[in-house]
Amino acid sequence: MITFTLNGRTVETDAPVTARLLDLLREEFELIGTKEGCGEGECGACSVFVNNLLQNSCLIPIGSIAGADIQTIEGIIETKQFKILDESYSIAGGVQCGYCIPGMIMASAALLSENPHPSEAEIREGISGNLCRCTGYNMIVDAINLAAKKGDGL
Amino acid sequence: MIEKITAYRFERLDETLSQLNREDCAIIAGGTDVMVLHKSRRGVPPKIPKPIVFINHLSELKQVYQHHKDLHIGACCTYSELLENPLIPFALKNAIKTIAAPAIRNRGTLGGNICNASPAGDMLPLLYVYNAKVLLRSVKGDRMVEISDFIQGPRQVQRFHNEMVTEIILPFVLGDSHVVFEKVGNRNADAIAKVSFAGFVRMSKGRIDDIRFAFGAVGPTMVRSIDIERRLVGKTIPLADADIAEIVAAFDKIIRPIDDQRSTAAYRKTVALHLLRYFLSMKQYQPN
Repeated sequence: MITFTLNGRTVETDAPVTARLLDLLREEFELIGTKEGCGEGECGACSVFVNNLLQNSCLIPIGSIAGADIQTIEGIIETKQFKILDESYSIAGGVQCGYCIPGMIMASAALLSENPHPSEAEIREGISGNLCRCTGYNMIVDAINLAAKKGDGL
Repeated sequence: MIEKITAYRFERLDETLSQLNREDCAIIAGGTDVMVLHKSRRGVPPKIPKPIVFINHLSELKQVYQHHKDLHIGACCTYSELLENPLIPFALKNAIKTIAAPAIRNRGTLGGNICNASPAGDMLPLLYVYNAKVLLRSVKGDRMVEISDFIQGPRQVQRFHNEMVTEIILPFVLGDSHVVFEKVGNRNADAIAKVSFAGFVRMSKGRIDDIRFAFGAVGPTMVRSIDIERRLVGKTIPLADADIAEIVAAFDKIIRPIDDQRSTAAYRKTVALHLLRYFLSMKQYQPN
């Protein structure tokens, strides 16, 4: 039995220790905001926070997260930072098909928490592990830039 | 059907080593390579053929400290932790910034990158030019191995099943040095290298005192030749064209890449030699 914190709640699972955190989140906890893209750590669609650090949930065996604090896109939806990112992505046209967006938002939030006023190069570096096949990234970069201005330190 | 999986996650390193002494286990640090290597179809846990030992929570494996001027780096330090640590050399940090992407850097470990022993392992060319050593610990004691002896081939390392890599040691470098790392891949972030290159040079009184090169992803392990490096000792910078041509020609003979899904042998060789030539063509020595 593995116990950890998921979006602020203590949870338990008896899934095998090698199960991927991604599968556990989607199938056992029905948190389907976290997506599977490549399943190899190259696309960032499955990004979550582990102890406040951005990580790829497709690469995490759940045996290694006992006692950890996990946050998914569903867990940050009530934050002020999320609301600003949500609005900024809409205004900048940063969302097309939307599949990469939960991961992009997680990466954006991780970046802004660490560096509230990033340069364009720092924004591109912050989302460098996230692939988007629709936007060509420029609108996503604009969205993060806008969120940084509006959030001003969030 | 539920298959039984044996896994251990001890609170202390000594307990972990005792378990490794009892049975042959798969050691998982960040898991960024092992989870891909044993990947199953969606929703099915990776099948790892041995009992598992998780180690990335062990604080004993995350220490970074100087001892007799050598730099000791805990094997489970993640790339992000290395970037934040004031003891890590600036040149190494610059290289780490070109490796992976934030999410992987928060999870992948230096020890894991070494033990995975990929021919394209990102940190390996640098560790070779730093003459890094690997500290292995077991219940019987410690042993230290040069990285070039430790890595024997693709996914093959000189580790007995009762041992664990606990530290990576960067020997003290006398004086300033200039270190570069170049990686060629399909994408800046998260790409597996087609070719990688690390160069190290240290000058003393206007002459080359020590110069080292290592090439990644152009052979089963990193390509380095101490014989070729020695030919440049005592020369001044900028190097003469004839000296550069001689060194490039010497590496041309020993670099034997392969064709695979990422690149071709011809491309790899051409680019590897260009990277070398570019490094050797430096106009002036600028320690970093």
